[in-house]
Amino acid sequence: MAASNRAVTKTRNSHLSPEENDTSDTRVAECARLVRQAAAGDRDAMERLLMQAQEVAFRFSFLVCGHAQDAEDVMQDALLKTYRHIGRIREPEHFRTWLYKTVRNTCLMKRRRRVDEPSHLLSIEQGGPASGDGFTAVDVEDPAQGPDEAAMNTWLGERLRAALKALPPSYRMIVFLREMEGLSTREVAKVTGISEANVKTRLHRARGILREQLEDV
Amino acid sequence: MKAGDCAAILAHISAYLDGELEATECDAIERHCRECDSCASVVAGLRHTVGLCREAGSAPLPDVVRAKARESVKKLLAEKKS
Ligand SMILES: [Zn+2]
Repeated sequence: MAASNRAVTKTRNSHLSPEENDTSDTRVAECARLVRQAAAGDRDAMERLLMQAQEVAFRFSFLVCGHAQDAEDVMQDALLKTYRHIGRIREPEHFRTWLYKTVRNTCLMKRRRRVDEPSHLLSIEQGGPASGDGFTAVDVEDPAQGPDEAAMNTWLGERLRAALKALPPSYRMIVFLREMEGLSTREVAKVTGISEANVKTRLHRARGILREQLEDV
Repeated sequence: MKAGDCAAILAHISAYLDGELEATECDAIERHCRECDSCASVVAGLRHTVGLCREAGSAPLPDVVRAKARESVKKLLAEKKS
């Protein structure tokens, strides 16, 4: 009886190894705790949060948008907006999605403002039929400034960097948010404005492409 | 999902890894992979891929970036304090 019951019960256990199974709920709760402490005047918590905000901004800017020269501006923007946001925050649990959304929008705005951007890229950013996330046809550039190649490869690994670069940009953002940053499917949908079903489809395809890229070497 | 069908198995692998399938569907995948080397290697490859991404996501940023970020935090908090 018990066995047959178990067979029809939905399993929510991921089939990834435990350390790969760090749930986004835990991260949301940890982040919300830090936000509450910072809002209550804890300077250490505020410093950690401001560091995290800038780190998210750097990773997003570098890995998704691909304009390394923008990373510094995006970090600065995330720093100031986070500081202001903490001062009037009502729902600390929503901080994480707020941060990713804010950083994503800043990257998009920067892209739009770039005077040297070819106009055909601008039209795609407004969201072609297949996009909905604003990053459809933009490729990752190699960094012109900031950390050197060696430092970036130490950070990410050369193979993974190359594999991410080969992904269609709209898939890259999903992989970034879901796999690298550990957001849940629902959070990714909120940040990107794509449906949860679409997030899953893109993630599935992106994982397949990445696997082939990584095995190809 | 039929246990013998590679295409059906492969279509569900992502959901399987994320723990979104019914227990019976998980069993079907696991049974299939015990007998199909090709699907088993895809599952192993995807696990490895996801693992690499997650590892990279939690790796500390280059020192130069962190130093810059720390400096900006110090500067902002000093400004706001005065
Ligand atoms: Zn098979």
